[in-house]
Amino acid sequence: MVSSRDARRKAPAAGSWTDSVGSWATTVVAVSVLLFLALPILVVIPMSFSSAEALTFPPPGFSLRWYESFFGDARWLQAARTSIIVAVASSTLAAVFGSAAAYGLVRGNWFGRGAIEANFLLPLIVPQVITALALYMYFARLGILGTLPGLIMGHTVLGLPYVVLIMTVAIRSFDVRIEQVALSLGSSWSRMFVSVVLPNLAPSLAAAWLFAFVISFDEVIITFFLAGAHETIPKRMFNELMLQVNPTITAIATLLISISIITISTLALLARRSGLLR
Amino acid sequence: MAGNVEVAHRVQPTSSRLTLPKLGEGFAQVVPALILILLLFNVPLVIMLGWSFYPLETPLANYEQIFTRSIYLKVIGNTFYIAALTTVACCLLGYPLCYWMWRLSPRWRLIIASIVVLTFWVSILVRTYAWIVILGNDGIVNRLLLTWGLIDSSVSFLYNQTGVIIGTTNVLLPFLVLPLFAAMMRLDRRILLAAETLGAPKGVIFWKIFFPLTLPSLAAGAILIFILTLGFFITPAILGGGRVPMIANMMDLLINRLPRWELAAAISGVLLVFTMIFFAGYQWLNNRQQAS
Repeated sequence: MVSSRDARRKAPAAGSWTDSVGSWATTVVAVSVLLFLALPILVVIPMSFSSAEALTFPPPGFSLRWYESFFGDARWLQAARTSIIVAVASSTLAAVFGSAAAYGLVRGNWFGRGAIEANFLLPLIVPQVITALALYMYFARLGILGTLPGLIMGHTVLGLPYVVLIMTVAIRSFDVRIEQVALSLGSSWSRMFVSVVLPNLAPSLAAAWLFAFVISFDEVIITFFLAGAHETIPKRMFNELMLQVNPTITAIATLLISISIITISTLALLARRSGLLR
Repeated sequence: MAGNVEVAHRVQPTSSRLTLPKLGEGFAQVVPALILILLLFNVPLVIMLGWSFYPLETPLANYEQIFTRSIYLKVIGNTFYIAALTTVACCLLGYPLCYWMWRLSPRWRLIIASIVVLTFWVSILVRTYAWIVILGNDGIVNRLLLTWGLIDSSVSFLYNQTGVIIGTTNVLLPFLVLPLFAAMMRLDRRILLAAETLGAPKGVIFWKIFFPLTLPSLAAGAILIFILTLGFFITPAILGGGRVPMIANMMDLLINRLPRWELAAAISGVLLVFTMIFFAGYQWLNNRQQAS
């Protein structure tokens, strides 16, 4: 791949001036698109340290007032607590159920396996607002609409497809013969699972759990329909943004961006360790 | 022991005595998650679609309303219009970015790809929110335009179709860029090298070889963007300010404001059918891509 690039560079410039104009134009367009993509992040972070009452850019001075206003507000802190409880519970449920299912799907060889696997991925394709609406009507009938367990169940359904996707890839790349060796050496299935399968899949499992955690932590639509009086950070942000523009949100947005950076770096590390990227 | 049976089974899959008990291998592990998704996804979906035919004396009355009343038709038309424009914008912006990334050195490629992945990973809410600051009446764009004397008074970018399309394009662009870039990276560079050795100019190589080869991936990405915009909720709600109703926002209205569940259910049914049709097209393109 590298050699072909070099060869191309060294090749005599057969093209005319139109080639270099085209090349420059591509660069200009591409860099502008990249800027457009990154613009929200580039704007929100400096704004969160603004000393101004209103949203002005560039900020007139530095202050931490919006962070103080976030950490000093009991309602935002309660929302953060709910967000974390729901995200931890739903991602743990999704990770346990989803990775067991992924193991069965990869190692099994029975009729209808493909259909069941496709069904696990269905929540990714069906628009979330439809899932939210269906759960809303269903939970209303069951009398669990607006409860924390109901919300956790809704988030679990959304996290499950990601866990199944990540774990089927991971288990597929784990040689089944290693399991067979352990079994043929006299290990019981459960012993083999705990001391052979689990340690090997641990990085992927952590990645899958983290993915489901972030999906839940950022989730707006399902929460908007199912949470009732409960507030999560995204739900309260969404409701506030519909009414007015409160600069406290820039501070929360910056905190969320830093969480995103931390989680994605962790995921990259886990992916390298588990060989998912290889 | 168990292990010997296992190995024997792998070696001789035809031996029926050994394969029979193995038929269900792995099924037990799938069952809990299967029950979970059936009870919390499939069943609710079916029940909701059942609702859409209520009252049962006139099962299609709700669907008839959607397709005959001008309010609903207008919202559906508006959603398709915004989805189409967003798709075109994503393709026009995304393709040059991918092509440029593909030509970079591996090191720079990784850096730029990481930036794209990061924007993809940051909460949609955060990215949507920033556009209020950028596009608002007192926002960055308006103040720049005023300072440069290009306009006399603020232009409204927010709470209209323009704002929704800009925000939606920004949020969904990584969904096009990441798969398209991956597809370009899978392309065999030797084909292009061959054309070059045979003396083809760069423009010809791009338009006759590179572009046609990556077109199916671009088309698949475009369909994905279209599907995602059809059901989009957050960005239209915030940047549209209720003035740019899309299907998803109308469903919210029908559920939370004027409780008309059966109508909301019917609209879900319509949206679901559209989504599935376009998804079938997406799958077809992807399979064709993999076959070639």
